[in-house]
Amino acid sequence: MTQVLATTVVVASLYALLAAGYVLVYRATRVLNLAQGDMMTLGGYFLFFVAAAVPGRPALSIVTAAVLSALAGFAIYRLLMRPMAGHPIFAAVLVTVTLGILLRAAIVLVYTDRIRHPLPLLGLANPPRRLPGGAVVSTFDLATVAAAAGLFIALFAFLRLSPLGIQMRAAGEKALLAAQRGINFQLLFALSWALAGFAGALAGILYANNVRLDPSLGVLGLKAFAVALVGGLDSLGGVIPGALIVAAIEVLSVRYGDPLLADVSPFLCLLAMLLVRPWGLFGTKEELERV
Amino acid sequence: MTAAFDVVTALLELENLEVVYHRVATAIQGVSLRVPPAQIVTLLGTNGAGKTTTLRAVSGFLGADNAQIVGGRVVFQGATVTGRPPHELARRGLVLVPERDKVFETLTVQENLRALVPGGRADADPTRPPVTLEQVFHYFPVLAKRRRQLAGYLSGGERQMLALATALLCRPRVLLVDELSLGLAPLVVESLMTLVARLRDELGLAVLLVEQNAGAALAVANYGYVMEHGRIVYDGPAERLLAHEDVREFYLGVGHRADRKRYTDVKQYQRRRRWF
Amino acid sequence: MPLGGGYFKTTYAGDLALVDTRLRRTALAAALVALLLLPRVASPFVLDLITQTALAAVGALALNLLTGLAGQVSLGHAGFIAAGAFTTGVLVEHRMPSPLLALPAAALVGAVLGVVVGIPALRLKGLYLALGTLALHHVVLYACGEFQNHWGANTGVSIPPPRFGGFVLKGTIAWYYALTAVAGLVLVLSVNLQRSRTGRAWMAIRDREIAAESVGIDVARYKVLAFVWSSALTSLAGALFAYQRAFVSVEAFGFFLAIEYIAMVIIGGLGSALGAVLGAAFVTLLPYGIDTAVAALRVPGGAEYYLFPLKFGAFGLLMAAFLVFEPQGLVGVWRRVRNWVFLWPLRYRPLRPAS
Repeated sequence: MTQVLATTVVVASLYALLAAGYVLVYRATRVLNLAQGDMMTLGGYFLFFVAAAVPGRPALSIVTAAVLSALAGFAIYRLLMRPMAGHPIFAAVLVTVTLGILLRAAIVLVYTDRIRHPLPLLGLANPPRRLPGGAVVSTFDLATVAAAAGLFIALFAFLRLSPLGIQMRAAGEKALLAAQRGINFQLLFALSWALAGFAGALAGILYANNVRLDPSLGVLGLKAFAVALVGGLDSLGGVIPGALIVAAIEVLSVRYGDPLLADVSPFLCLLAMLLVRPWGLFGTKEELERV
Repeated sequence: MTAAFDVVTALLELENLEVVYHRVATAIQGVSLRVPPAQIVTLLGTNGAGKTTTLRAVSGFLGADNAQIVGGRVVFQGATVTGRPPHELARRGLVLVPERDKVFETLTVQENLRALVPGGRADADPTRPPVTLEQVFHYFPVLAKRRRQLAGYLSGGERQMLALATALLCRPRVLLVDELSLGLAPLVVESLMTLVARLRDELGLAVLLVEQNAGAALAVANYGYVMEHGRIVYDGPAERLLAHEDVREFYLGVGHRADRKRYTDVKQYQRRRRWF
Repeated sequence: MPLGGGYFKTTYAGDLALVDTRLRRTALAAALVALLLLPRVASPFVLDLITQTALAAVGALALNLLTGLAGQVSLGHAGFIAAGAFTTGVLVEHRMPSPLLALPAAALVGAVLGVVVGIPALRLKGLYLALGTLALHHVVLYACGEFQNHWGANTGVSIPPPRFGGFVLKGTIAWYYALTAVAGLVLVLSVNLQRSRTGRAWMAIRDREIAAESVGIDVARYKVLAFVWSSALTSLAGALFAYQRAFVSVEAFGFFLAIEYIAMVIIGGLGSALGAVLGAAFVTLLPYGIDTAVAALRVPGGAEYYLFPLKFGAFGLLMAAFLVFEPQGLVGVWRRVRNWVFLWPLRYRPLRPAS
């Protein structure tokens, strides 16, 4: 029982890291970044790249990979999303789909689809740990939970306490009005993409060390998308309950049902949510009218 | 016509401004006007005359608007600012109160009043007195009552007040107001116009007031321009406009002939080109 | 006697005709003749390409009905193809391989699926609808995967060539004629639907749903109808796909196929039958184009390995390029070229911005 609980929290943490990226970009730009999963993969490969170049330096590798991913997010906004400014939102979302394709293709071209393990290159190990209650998790499982907690606390503080938070929400609702009020929304949008890159990189780095690294990790992104929707696409707070719910259903269906179902269960959650309450648990209801 | 105002340096000046939409449709052409400090200048005209385009050209277009300024320039405090992005112009002190989409509906009133980046520092610039939240609530007491309400649920008049309030908090040097009276009851319009006059008198604000409701605008304005089909056709001090025959007939609805006439009979339409 | 070169119509029949001017009639006749005689001059490889394009076009036209005409965005199109193909597979497993049964069955399964998707879809709009259909695609694939495991055919089901009575359809040339004929029929169906009352209702719903409802169009009924038409046709295409490939396996219907159909619609241009066909042709031929280009460049050994990500990447790049620069797709390009030709030597010159 405690094992199920522990696994749920770990899986939820990973999803939460990815879902944060979705919410950040959606709140600011109203665009669904369907390439978030591939940005996670990119982060993992950045780590591999740095670790292979300078092995045995875990802190340096991780920080560099995260920074590179943030910069990549910034660049993606500037080069790909900003030109789509005047186009309908749906076209912008499709552009993110193509971005995902491009990222994946580029990664395979450079690194092939062999499975990689950056862990030994970093000089780290991933021993299992025993929790009180009898559950067993790996070290990096714990790191994932810690990272998710840390990221969310930092994001909450940033968005609540700094004026940028309100400005981001304003720019997300009406960019022109925000500009007319002196808000440089392009910068805010770019910032949200950089943060999404960073969050995705955290997820990718942790997963690469914990499990493995290969170009198809992007599918996790789609599952995390279901989390974001269940919680409410523009609600950071909603990500946490959303992640716990989706993760719980997935873990339970693996335990007591068909393992293949585990892959599909997030989508079933997504569909159920869309039918019952499309704006998610904590999303702004007004969103629906705009779509 | 502008003799009495030549000696006063204009805070905002438009010179022969020309704006084209979608690369083919000329919206305004040869538009020149001046806004002196601590004055209300009104820009009158019917729908489609180009008034909103003029304001948008001053306050800045976004790339997605598909509009280009193809001629003329906008001079603000002596510096040419044509074509700068909206957020930069707002921070310089050219603040627009738009015609629609004027408040953030999913934010509360309080949050709306914080969702801005005022230009300049509070103490640095003597020509831009800092406007505090208390002052704003003093001018608009109803907003204080509704601070925690979502702006989307405000009435038309309250939204207009919120929009004015947020514009004030941006510390404008020139306030550009687009259709203040649109969709509002006459009593509300009157109170808002009086308020704008108060802002001019108490804060020394310069205002460019674009209005369809000529009567309400001319009641508080110092000077006025009339726009038709994208061009300025007449201008003068407010008293002169109020007395002008054509302005009275077309914009104030005060016809000097009792009977109805056909479009082609009207002399004024025929001498429309000779507004001077 | 046709007036004005055929542009002025004097009878109802003339007004309703699909191919109205003499130029169009001649062009159509020429095209038909060319298609008929092609097998005599073209290689089997080229014929196979055209066959594949025709099949893709059927799917693209069906998607165009739903997304382009009715404005109901659907990203789960590949799921319907899988549904049709698997219906065929299931029937084959039950020893009922006749296409006379499988094709209508596939269409029926598609139609039912269309209702199943269409009714909940009434609650969703735009982006949410797209996501819902994407999620559904995964669910359908899961179901198909379950079928595949259940019948013990872990790698897939083999489909024998279809028999229509005494006639067996096999061989490149036969399939070429069959599928181009089907594509032609679906094209005519598509164009006629567009001109019909249903098509007009769909376009009204797409453009301004509230206004459509206020003039008395039963929005719910027409939306579901759009889903039904689209998924029935697509499932039919799926069944044909199964017969033509002679093999059905869930791997063929994954992520890549879904992207292909989205690409067809984007690259071709939304909202027109011509766009769907152009998009289908482009997307089907692109991988071969890349193959040829890579072969021509004579990249040294091991290049085949890079081919897949290269094709994948080229896809993505082209889609992005079309989305950013030419949102109307190939149809937009075609219209611009055509307008340029018509307007020549006159040309509208855009004004240049000051400063």
